[in-house]
Amino acid sequence: MDHVFVIVIIFLLLNICMGLIRLWRGPSVADRLLATQLFGTAGMAVLTVMAGYSEDLTLLNVVITFNVLSIILVICMVQVRKKKKKETP
Amino acid sequence: MELLTDGLLALLTAYLAFRCMLAPKLSKTVFTFFAFGLILALMWIRLGAVDVAIAEAAIASGFMGVLLLDSLRDFSPSYSEFEDNIEQPPNQVAFAKRSLSQWVPAIASGAGLLLFLFIALQAVREVPAGGGLAAFAEAKLPESGAEHPVTAVLLNFRAYDTLLEVAVILMGLLAIFAAGGIRQFRKPSLPPAKDPVLRKAILIFTPLLFLFGAFLLYIGKSGPGGAFQAAVLWGAIGILLHLGGWRIFNALSRRMRRIIIIAGPLFFLLTGFALMARSGTFLAYPPAFAGFLILIIETLAAVSIAAALTAIYAFLTD
Repeated sequence: MDHVFVIVIIFLLLNICMGLIRLWRGPSVADRLLATQLFGTAGMAVLTVMAGYSEDLTLLNVVITFNVLSIILVICMVQVRKKKKKETP
Repeated sequence: MELLTDGLLALLTAYLAFRCMLAPKLSKTVFTFFAFGLILALMWIRLGAVDVAIAEAAIASGFMGVLLLDSLRDFSPSYSEFEDNIEQPPNQVAFAKRSLSQWVPAIASGAGLLLFLFIALQAVREVPAGGGLAAFAEAKLPESGAEHPVTAVLLNFRAYDTLLEVAVILMGLLAIFAAGGIRQFRKPSLPPAKDPVLRKAILIFTPLLFLFGAFLLYIGKSGPGGAFQAAVLWGAIGILLHLGGWRIFNALSRRMRRIIIIAGPLFFLLTGFALMARSGTFLAYPPAFAGFLILIIETLAAVSIAAALTAIYAFLTD
């Protein structure tokens, strides 16, 4: 059973590595932001699996912290881009 | 099997740090730094420091993220008002040939860092078998007023350090106020949000952030959490509302803002002196009231730090 947890964690970490390609190449800032959001989600999944693996439920607090704060980057990004469009036309 | 995940995490951390430093574009640097923060939080979990992981998650992906993204727009050609700031495309930056006088400091500081790492490793090996002061702290835990060893150390045994940490944030705020006195560094604030999705998202997340911040503050007594983590979540409320164009911090009167920002450190300091008058030692809580005092100090400190973080964002954009 333990091996399943470890395999899932490694799979999710490799997911993050794949996302790095988009982060590195992504032509626009929005692509990079979405890659970061993918990392956030995959990271939360890794943490949840780790909580199951080590049977330590306090790790879920970290997950929720990531979760409630993930919105703030997106909103910041959206607001900044909106301003840009207004300035340029 | 654990070695495999830990090794992968360690490799990713080193690789991302390397990429972050050497990225040719600022936006790449900023977003690689977010990824680095996430992997670092996972590393802290693997090292067993859940408190640090929560702080890392909250500060790196929340507060720092907003500040970095906000400053990123100053360097983008389609927005920035200051021509000098605009980032040059990487192929147009002239690379000066490095001379010996530039290599020597770089090599010297690298060698210094390696020496520091070596000393740190040596120090870890020299911790006595009983775990140094850990056993002593564990034995005194029932008297500290907190069940979680980290909280007991932070707010009772080494409360002096925490007081200074709260003061450091205040000093940072003062430095930003001093620099922000120059109009040129300020940006215009955002207009109130009209987009219904944005308004709804902000209105949904505000109570969630408040609730979870309060939960972290309270759970700090018996598990990972505490004032700083709660403060970042509460500060995120202020930043979120400012991003949506509701400038709550500017709506407060000048005196009110000062009172809120100063309340935490001031109460901490006054408690310290009051206890000094009573028992002769700075910040020596009587065991009967320790839990209650710690909770009040933590709450006020969290409110003050949250206000300071909001103030940093509000002041830079107003």
